[in-house]
Amino acid sequence: MKKKDIKVLVVDDEVAFANTLTQRLEMRDLKVGTAYDGEQALTKLKEEEPDVMVLDLKMPGMHGMEVLREIRKAYPDIQVIILTGHGTDKDAEEAKRLGGFDFLRKPADIDHLEHKIRRAFQEKLERTMTAIAFAEAGEFDTARKIIKEEDEEQ
Amino acid sequence: MEHKGEEHLRLLQLQFVGKILAGFTHEIKNYIAIIKESAGLMEDMVKLDKGQKGKPEQYLEIIRSIEEQIQKTNDLFRYLNRFAHRMDHEFSAFNINESLEELFALIQRVANQKRITLKKDFQREIPSFHGNPSIFQLVIFSFLEEKMTNLDKNSIITVKIGAKGNSIGVSISSEGVLKGEQDVQAMIPPEMRMFALEKLKGTVSESNGIIDVTLPLSR
Repeated sequence: MKKKDIKVLVVDDEVAFANTLTQRLEMRDLKVGTAYDGEQALTKLKEEEPDVMVLDLKMPGMHGMEVLREIRKAYPDIQVIILTGHGTDKDAEEAKRLGGFDFLRKPADIDHLEHKIRRAFQEKLERTMTAIAFAEAGEFDTARKIIKEEDEEQ
Repeated sequence: MEHKGEEHLRLLQLQFVGKILAGFTHEIKNYIAIIKESAGLMEDMVKLDKGQKGKPEQYLEIIRSIEEQIQKTNDLFRYLNRFAHRMDHEFSAFNINESLEELFALIQRVANQKRITLKKDFQREIPSFHGNPSIFQLVIFSFLEEKMTNLDKNSIITVKIGAKGNSIGVSISSEGVLKGEQDVQAMIPPEMRMFALEKLKGTVSESNGIIDVTLPLSR
């Protein structure tokens, strides 16, 4: 993997936490942006679409679950990892049902988080590559199906 | 009837404590997460630098951030400890300003989440009130919670405390837009709120959306 190939967006209303996490992930060769609430995150997506979003749940204004729902509708390619200090098992189930890639609780180990981000990116890449391979082989229906399945799963 | 009322009130107090604890633990988890990330960032910097050309100002900035989080954690623990001790005695002399400062600190996060500003307008050197401090906090919390749930974001709730004659008045007013859908029931049913207020020998009136709680100073 080339340096800073994976684009990440950290979304958390705790400014100190979001900024520090951003710095640490950047030191691990990820290209990281930061948003401090759900509305800001959705605005940032219009400028640049990240590969992976690290998303808090309890934020002022839009709740993280609402953000996840919006992303699934408008940006199905983005992988979302929930990182919350307040997550219940019910939240974890709901996030999975909505197509979240993973659900982590604060404080999380940075190496573990980095590993999850890379895996999420890998999975996204594999899906895209498979769809492209089918499309190149002229099997457009299958390629579409993969994309569609991806949307439906989420 | 009296017995059932007591039981119901006890249950409401437990729910109140649960809500306060949920908010508190969430806040503390956030502070710990920031401390952990800040310490981790210093570790990353040391590893990257290998001690060759450190940038002291960067380290100092991170240390200051850690100290700030520790201070916030300590303050919140102090408030929670005082809150817990409010239940030690059913009847005691307490300072209304302090008890509401404490309640504000413990519910601040909920207000932030809803983007509602809590404002204090407390008269200084208010006489001590004799009564059940825990029930007093529960009653005021129930009014605040109801307002916080029914008001739209960017609203302001002001709590004013002042001594008037032989009583202390707590006035709760709000500025802002009411949500289209009033999706909350009072945490305390009105009859239970009255039951709780009677225990404080207090009265409540509401006019133009301003809630006035009056508590007698003499026993």
